[in-house]
Amino acid sequence: MERQSMAVDIACVGFGPAMAGFLTTLSRRLAAAEKPPLESAASPGLPLQVVCYERADDPGFGVSGVVTRARGLREAFPDLEAAQIPMAAKVRQEKVLYLLDPVGASRRSAALRAADAAIRAARFALKYEEQAVELPYVPAYLHKLDGFVFSMGQLMQWMSGQVLSTGTVQIWPGTPVASALVEGQAVKGVRLVDQGVDRHGNPEGAFLPGMDVTAALTVVGDGPVGAVGRQLDRELGLPQGSHGRRDWAVGMKFVVDLPEGTPLEPGTVLHTLGFPEPEIFGFLYVHPDRVASVGIFVPSWFESPVRTTYRYLQHYVQHPYLWRFLRDAKLRSWGAKSILESGRRGEPVLAGDGFARIGEGSGSTNVLTSSGVDEAFTTGVQLAEGVIELLEAGKPLTRENLDAAYVARRRASFVEAEGRVAEKARDGFQRGVVTGLLGMALAGATGGRISLGEEPAHPAEKVSSLEQFYAGRIPAGDIAAIRRDCEAKGVPLHDALMDRAGWPAVPLDGKLLVTQQDALLVGGKVQAPPGYADHVTFLRPELCRSCGRKVCFEICSAEAIRPGEGGVPTFDREKCVHCGACLWSCTQRLDGTDEVNLAFRAGTGGLHSAEN
Amino acid sequence: MDSILLVSHVDPDGALPRAALEALAAARTLGAPVTAALFGHSVGKAAAALAGTGVAKVLVVEDPALEAARYSTDAAAAAALAKASGASLVLAPATSRMTRVMAGVAQRLGGRIDTHVTQLVDEGGPTAVRWYYRQRIEAKLRRKERPWVLLVDPGATEALKPAGGAAPPVEKVALALPAPRTQVTGVRSPSSGEQTIRPDAKVLFVAGAGWTKKQQDGKPHPEEAEALILAFLRGSGASLGSSKSLVDQAGEGQKVFEFMTHLNQVGQTGSTPRHAKGLATCCHGEEPHVVGWRFIRERRAVNLDASCGWARGKADVLYVADAFAVMTKVNALLAAKK
Amino acid sequence: MSFHIVVLGSIVPDPLQTLEPVSTPQGPGLKNEQMLPAVLDPWAGHALYEAANLAAKTPGSKVTLVSLGPKAKLQQVMMAVAQKVPFELVALDGPAGGFTDAHEVAARLAAAVKALPGLDRTKLLLFGGWESASRGAGVTLQLVGELLEIPDQFQGVDQISARPDGSFEVLERVEGGRHQVSTCQGAPAVLGWATGNLPEPKNNPQIGMANMRLVMPALQKAAPAPVGTGGVEFASVQVPKVMRETRIVKDASPDEIARELVEWISKD
Repeated sequence: MERQSMAVDIACVGFGPAMAGFLTTLSRRLAAAEKPPLESAASPGLPLQVVCYERADDPGFGVSGVVTRARGLREAFPDLEAAQIPMAAKVRQEKVLYLLDPVGASRRSAALRAADAAIRAARFALKYEEQAVELPYVPAYLHKLDGFVFSMGQLMQWMSGQVLSTGTVQIWPGTPVASALVEGQAVKGVRLVDQGVDRHGNPEGAFLPGMDVTAALTVVGDGPVGAVGRQLDRELGLPQGSHGRRDWAVGMKFVVDLPEGTPLEPGTVLHTLGFPEPEIFGFLYVHPDRVASVGIFVPSWFESPVRTTYRYLQHYVQHPYLWRFLRDAKLRSWGAKSILESGRRGEPVLAGDGFARIGEGSGSTNVLTSSGVDEAFTTGVQLAEGVIELLEAGKPLTRENLDAAYVARRRASFVEAEGRVAEKARDGFQRGVVTGLLGMALAGATGGRISLGEEPAHPAEKVSSLEQFYAGRIPAGDIAAIRRDCEAKGVPLHDALMDRAGWPAVPLDGKLLVTQQDALLVGGKVQAPPGYADHVTFLRPELCRSCGRKVCFEICSAEAIRPGEGGVPTFDREKCVHCGACLWSCTQRLDGTDEVNLAFRAGTGGLHSAEN
Repeated sequence: MDSILLVSHVDPDGALPRAALEALAAARTLGAPVTAALFGHSVGKAAAALAGTGVAKVLVVEDPALEAARYSTDAAAAAALAKASGASLVLAPATSRMTRVMAGVAQRLGGRIDTHVTQLVDEGGPTAVRWYYRQRIEAKLRRKERPWVLLVDPGATEALKPAGGAAPPVEKVALALPAPRTQVTGVRSPSSGEQTIRPDAKVLFVAGAGWTKKQQDGKPHPEEAEALILAFLRGSGASLGSSKSLVDQAGEGQKVFEFMTHLNQVGQTGSTPRHAKGLATCCHGEEPHVVGWRFIRERRAVNLDASCGWARGKADVLYVADAFAVMTKVNALLAAKK
Repeated sequence: MSFHIVVLGSIVPDPLQTLEPVSTPQGPGLKNEQMLPAVLDPWAGHALYEAANLAAKTPGSKVTLVSLGPKAKLQQVMMAVAQKVPFELVALDGPAGGFTDAHEVAARLAAAVKALPGLDRTKLLLFGGWESASRGAGVTLQLVGELLEIPDQFQGVDQISARPDGSFEVLERVEGGRHQVSTCQGAPAVLGWATGNLPEPKNNPQIGMANMRLVMPALQKAAPAPVGTGGVEFASVQVPKVMRETRIVKDASPDEIARELVEWISKD
């Protein structure tokens, strides 16, 4: 069957906060009756043709626990009120908490153990309750007191509604972009994924080859694990000296109905550290109407090869400080997402002939202030302003012109200034949690002039062996026995190892403590349409067979990747939530490059919850 | 006080549909006198079958054109009967034939209609129980408007057992039927024949997508699965239902059982059949699928996954086992019994 | 012979969402109804795809989707639907919840169909689902048919085969998993679709682009269409709590399980 093609003026990849910023700004200009119309070059006589392709089945199916200062958002929507958007609340109270380990199963360094003992001894002098101590103040760079708590899903749904109602641009959900059409150093548009294929991509039934959509400008905002952004990095190269995307975390969250009579007020924001492992940070945000988001981040510098986010999240919500609020809470939604923590340092080439990069995948996330949505949105606005300027002047969308109109705007903005401060702020974590926290404090206090640690190595290098990670806690012989047993059963190792390390069994209650599959079905409402290829594949089976760590199925947020026969993992497309944690957790680098053996392409399906 | 009319077609052989006796039982719970109304080619046999059911009289429309189930003629007949009765509550069994016309009839009467009624009670007036959102929310409702037309779901109520005796008086209602633009030419059974959902079967066998997935040897065995399912249906006389994901595979051109069509689907856009027993095999999913067997009284499941949403809290018994192995043995036992 | 196929269909919550009833000043509703992701009602979807299929086979035909729902939600759902098949949209801005009265909805829809510019009754086929995933009463389409005085109606339709003279054969689901076969002289007629036999069409960006040139303006001029619950008084609306005590049998041999199952099946 012939591949069809279609011409538009601007093709956009991925509808997230950055693209919302781009399309909000652009659509307002296109709808402005008082200004001269911007005409289409692709379809002469028609207004500018702008299309955005989103892989998820709805613009509201994104994931993020969002607390944001919303500086860029409020500039774009000066009348923004929390009441306009479901689940939005003004931030009213913010706390940073250090959680002690009431279980005794986490892996804590000698320094941390000493600190824990000191806290317990001095607890009457501290703001201490329920195995947690409140930090005396929230560092200025972390606070969001003038901001909002949002549900990312609801925020995106609201913004897509605003954009669509102008009638000037189109957002097509359920339509993944397979790749950019690259010619030399230029991008000429995008190719959509094939439909009517089996899981290996072979045509079957009603085959429809992915259409080529040519465009004068391709806007890439497909996020940290997006296929198009990574393709451009690979094919067009990174800025000189850059290693690109090396520092990661996966965030996983529950959205819960809090019990009646909960003391938690809407707009309450808790940041936590210390538990369930010192490397794992957590959060609880309170939305209106007794709803809260609670979740954790598992970073790529956490050495454990069995870093299961779900099991850790179950222990996290049971920490006494949180459990008193969550004991009778009920699961409403669940989701997971990778966060690119390289920040400004992971910035790719921002613009070239016929393309521009915006949002998290373009290195906009601020890793010191833990802020990404507002920055991403702002980069989208900046690109739109630049593009409007070029179109009004009748200038072509070349690298030179985009550099002047977009990149220069970005460089002059808070995104760049604050991103520079944050650039090395987290390097200390490469040496440990305590060094990491000190490094952040130093970078925050000195405007980024002083930092600790070094630039992260490839994430594959951070994963230790099981024996190393559990040294002194589980004898090597026991690890070998657990490995044999799990292999025979065809299950990942994390549950058996965590049980052995002293983590108690999770008392499933059918409310908040549910099986991972129930979290998928009841919380995430995960599903995938038939007729598409697997988007996760393993390139060289022999590398999987010889891999001793297999972090891919340990960290998989949805149990979509499982141990398979002959040592090659299996992938179940219908369970995948596209979090991308497998991508940066694969320890099998290909031929010394930053590429790994696990291929993560654009795919359909995933979460069907709009509350995350 | 409401006056109640029970209106029904007669079966092609002239008999009174069983569902009409069920709807009559529901009507009787309201305590008001009930008039019956029948239409068809020849209704004498059905009217006689109402002897000893407590109906005051039977209004009838007879016409050769009413032999076939057709909107224009059926709606005209049912509307004429309802008008002649002057009833404020018009009940009908939700057979495919009555379901096709009663909303139109309600409109012609200037009344209102509610359907899929599973229960009628007298709670401060006639009150209907029915489901919303694909059998996921249950509501009890009353209506101010009259006439109020209610379609009672088959299988929801025990049928009234006529006591016999003298047949109720029959009153003919004269009616000139409109000239039909539609001819009913017959009834077609799908090629699958025996393998569809038959309401009369005691057991509903629900096949899930797991039957076509890879088995323990790492390969799918659709032919073996097909043979096992067919042998079970023949051996047990069960009706065949299927999960949406399994019938959807047929639409996508994948290798799937020859006999499976959307007619077999239960839950979601499929049917919500009523059977005494249900056996689910290789099913996986949650609430929207499970609604497909909300009205199955006794439920068992065979599945490899002990935490399967089809089974936990929804089935009476879950056997955690390989359905291929179990069904092979079941079929052998069923064959030996014959 | 060509047809003007008017499909009536609205939106329903995405099927995997958890539904919980709440009472509102307007009558019963769903908890977080505004937040629940929506999809085109699956039966209306089948009707729409069958309409497009029929229109493609009978040159000169066209498909109009008439949809009553909250404008913002309709807009969102149309972005998923408009990529599937070509159609024109007439949008009515009103509630799409299941607890509204079918008669009020039907009156709005019938008025919208009557007002379609250049509507030729001799070409009109009124399509829709024979059920819906919201109210699930299966009556709205029939009521609209009556209001438009269309003499022929078919429900539970799985197939339509049009003939060159404009007549067509229809297969309707009847008891026992069978189909009643009828031949109708031609339009106008009402067809309430079961699932039909077509797979869901693929997403086609070109169809999407073409549809949106008409869909967006239609959404922008969607007229308000308030509908209520009529004279219905809801005595109770609830999610039934029917959790069963499931006996889980592990580690039994296939022989043992088979014996237990056959015994159970054979019992009356």
